[in-house]
Amino acid sequence: MTLLGSGIFKGMAVTFRNFVGSYFHRERLPTNDYSWRTEGSLPQHAGDYPKEEGEQLRDTTTVTNYSRNFPMLLHDGSEPMDTIRCVACQICERSCPPQCIYIEKSTEKKEDSSGKMQFYPATFDIDVSVCMSCQICVEVCPFDAIVMNSQFELSTPNRFGGLLLHQGDLLKSNDYYHKIHPEEAAARDKRIADEKTAKEAKKKAAAEAAKKKAEAKAGAETEAGDEKKEVAE
Amino acid sequence: MSLEPLTLTDILIATVPLMLIFATLFAFTTWLERKALARIQNRIGPNKVGIPCTRIGLFGLGQPAADGIKMIFKEDIVPRGADRLFHLLAPILALIPAMLVLCFLPLNFPWIKNIQGLVKPFMLDGAVIFFFAITGLNTLAVFMAGWASRNKYSLLGGIRAVAQMVSYEIPLVLSAVIVVMMVGSLNAAEIVKEQADEYWFILSPWGFTAFVIFFIAALAETNRSPFDLPEAESEIIAGYFTEYSGFKFALFFLGEYIAMFAISGLAVTLFLGGGDGPGVTMNPEDQGLATEAFPGLSAVWFLAKIFALIAVMIWLRGTLPRLRVDQLMGFAWKFMLPLSILNILVAGFAWHAEQLDNTIITVITWVISFAVLYGAASGLNQLNRGKVRPREYKYAE
Amino acid sequence: MSSPTATAPNYELIQQDGLETSLLEVSMGPHHPSTHGVFRMDVKLDGETVVDLQPVFGYLHRNHEKLAENMSYLASMPFTDRLDYFNSMTNNWAYALAAEKLVEIEVPERAEYLRVIMAELTRLVNHISLVGFFINDLGALGTPLLYAFREREKIMDLFEQASGARMMCNYFRFGGLRNDVPEGWLDRTREVVDRFPDFLDEYEKLLCENEIILSRTQGVGCLSRDLAISAGITGPMLRASGVNYDIRKVDQYGIYNRFKFRVPYTDDDVGDCYDRFMIRMLEMRESIEILKQALRDIPGGDIIGKAPKIFKPKPAEAYARVEGPKGELGFYLIADGTPKPYRYRVRPPSLINLTVLRDMCLSQKIADAVVILGSIDIVLGEVDR
Repeated sequence: MTLLGSGIFKGMAVTFRNFVGSYFHRERLPTNDYSWRTEGSLPQHAGDYPKEEGEQLRDTTTVTNYSRNFPMLLHDGSEPMDTIRCVACQICERSCPPQCIYIEKSTEKKEDSSGKMQFYPATFDIDVSVCMSCQICVEVCPFDAIVMNSQFELSTPNRFGGLLLHQGDLLKSNDYYHKIHPEEAAARDKRIADEKTAKEAKKKAAAEAAKKKAEAKAGAETEAGDEKKEVAE
Repeated sequence: MSLEPLTLTDILIATVPLMLIFATLFAFTTWLERKALARIQNRIGPNKVGIPCTRIGLFGLGQPAADGIKMIFKEDIVPRGADRLFHLLAPILALIPAMLVLCFLPLNFPWIKNIQGLVKPFMLDGAVIFFFAITGLNTLAVFMAGWASRNKYSLLGGIRAVAQMVSYEIPLVLSAVIVVMMVGSLNAAEIVKEQADEYWFILSPWGFTAFVIFFIAALAETNRSPFDLPEAESEIIAGYFTEYSGFKFALFFLGEYIAMFAISGLAVTLFLGGGDGPGVTMNPEDQGLATEAFPGLSAVWFLAKIFALIAVMIWLRGTLPRLRVDQLMGFAWKFMLPLSILNILVAGFAWHAEQLDNTIITVITWVISFAVLYGAASGLNQLNRGKVRPREYKYAE
Repeated sequence: MSSPTATAPNYELIQQDGLETSLLEVSMGPHHPSTHGVFRMDVKLDGETVVDLQPVFGYLHRNHEKLAENMSYLASMPFTDRLDYFNSMTNNWAYALAAEKLVEIEVPERAEYLRVIMAELTRLVNHISLVGFFINDLGALGTPLLYAFREREKIMDLFEQASGARMMCNYFRFGGLRNDVPEGWLDRTREVVDRFPDFLDEYEKLLCENEIILSRTQGVGCLSRDLAISAGITGPMLRASGVNYDIRKVDQYGIYNRFKFRVPYTDDDVGDCYDRFMIRMLEMRESIEILKQALRDIPGGDIIGKAPKIFKPKPAEAYARVEGPKGELGFYLIADGTPKPYRYRVRPPSLINLTVLRDMCLSQKIADAVVILGSIDIVLGEVDR
């Protein structure tokens, strides 16, 4: 026979242990103490979690290294519009499930960072009040031009247009991308580089093949010509 | 002992500090409860509101003040079709009896002693009876609120509250009867003195049983978890105060906490030796007043004991789920009532055995009464919920 | 108020001479603390006893199926996260399975293992939160719920590190997973999984012997085996009613045939709230066993199979189901050769388990109606879709 009310006492022992434990074991507390300047109370896997007051409004402040929030557009060099990767192909606009992307293609072409003539987006808007952070646009983009940002402090006093991000707000440098998602950015850059070398190798191979083919053709032609000559003789 | 007629000054000196002290303690208790519950649930609790315009948090001690300010400035909404008069009266009526019974606690505040020699304004001879008579009014206030709100949830809460409070009043009174029997007086000061002379009643088997019954019934009387059915959040929103907002809600809140203090104070008086403790000697001829190591020590002991009981209440609230309404009534009538009646009999026999003044007999009485009471409690438990037990489960590979 | 039409069995409203008696009709919800979202129960009460109960839902209807029929197959993947927002990973899996049946993509070994790991972690998350909410409905002040959330947070961190989001993971793809888990993720998962039984011990000590919980849940909301089978109940609720049926064992989808695990069920025909609560508690231990085996055996390699760049299946139909934490979650797709599905249908376990609510609640107390609803384990996102 068990003690009268033993189940309740056992439960009370558990709550008491948690009461005391919450003062001594930080991992028991699932929430963060949002007092600023408290180094010790930061979550374990925090990336650049805001440590000082006002820092959460800064551009580079993210929650953790892994989180994704809203998309951003990548550019390579210092001048955003000159080195934008996006070529306004509008694939992301078509595949976006909640249809929050709006793109207007430019009328004339412009040189991109590699010196190739490309179209560029005249307008690129994302309505982040509609965006559901699903990352589909990132996956469908063939140019690695759009990736996920993890900046979270986007509140605005403007009720109507404040959450409509324009091209200027969306453009971020590749360095910034490396800063907020180091692993992902490195992997992506590696893949781009690999693809580039593969492409070049392929081009080279193709060029060589074409050259060979041309030579072979030329050879055949000469042979054929010779034969003709022979026949003619 | 003849008492001079009290002047208005005497009454004010005796009552105003009492109200101020308990209002402050109420504020402190809300903070304590939020903080302790938060820690039980592995949260931090209020920690921001401290001194205004600075970043000094003071562990969130300013939170009750902030809550109060918020409550005052909130819009007071009375539902259309509600009985406006009774809707207003109910929170006031909930507060008044709770405040009133505070006066009958044998708290030895130093200033009470100094008024014109020996004025002890509230040391009524029938204090215990008076206490129960006045706290009974609380039921009325709760039902008034439930009925006047014109809301089905409020009505359900009101009905539950009446059923619960009336049922639990009986074990509450019956367990207090034991103390009255042992002391032979209804005077709170006499009861405290008796305990200081002999032993605290909680230390004897019947006293302990009575204390447990009293405490459980007190939880039900003050609508504390696990007996918070009248305000059961998960079932009937907020019960009888669903339709209250702003300051009226704050009054309900205040009334509830003051009632908690009052009933804990009574439990301390009846079972835990009142203001007795190290450094305090009760004067036998001078009812209720004590010789203390320093002025106010007795009151400090009293309040410390009240807070110990309130801490247990908070702890229970953080642990237990709620009973169902039929189980609640069953618990009162089928478990607590038979046990407290048996306890009265046991206490009667024990009192007679103690009159013999023989150590061996006393010891035997204690052992036997403990065994009888525990056996009775287990038996009643078995009768009431014999089928309820953990089950075994099977596994399919 | 009208007289009751369909009421509880053996119920009779007591009529007294000279006193008009009628039933109290209470509309619980759509804004009610314990209807788990925007759900309404029209309850007729005689005192505290439920005489009639009518569930009303549809407040959260978001046109999920029709939306999916008007966009590409991939684009509805993030919407499946929002069905049952506690278990986005298993929702993803069910949808991915259905789409993989349409085009027959081979899923790489490592992806299969990671899918199992994610699904079982989801099951842990769902069951601890459910038990927390359930005890909350019983009237506890959220203590078990917050303990559950404390542990859930650790698993959520893992989800975030793998997929970038805590709840709306959108992690599965046709033929595998979106990306590989980051470095060290498996070690962190091992650590979380190894420490989880400690938490379960604590949880069981807090809840499983508590007299109040026992008497509140036993004999409340009984669901007989016959009714459970004929109503199409699945998942832990079916096993609590005495039927040994688990799709992980029956279908052995994915690679579940490689793991050794047991399925808890009850033998007697009671099926009350206590059984449903305990079956979930016991199921978590088995999930931990699966997780340990999966984390031990997981191979390296590719994360996504050879999927076509543009997903355009030939005209066909496919139904795929998984054992979600709430029951059988199925997706039915009809392809017509375009990049959009011709028909897209979800079999939501929450909705179908909810259909027996009225039968379980009749002639119980109003407080029990809330508890029974909590023990069914519904998420309104999935009920209303």
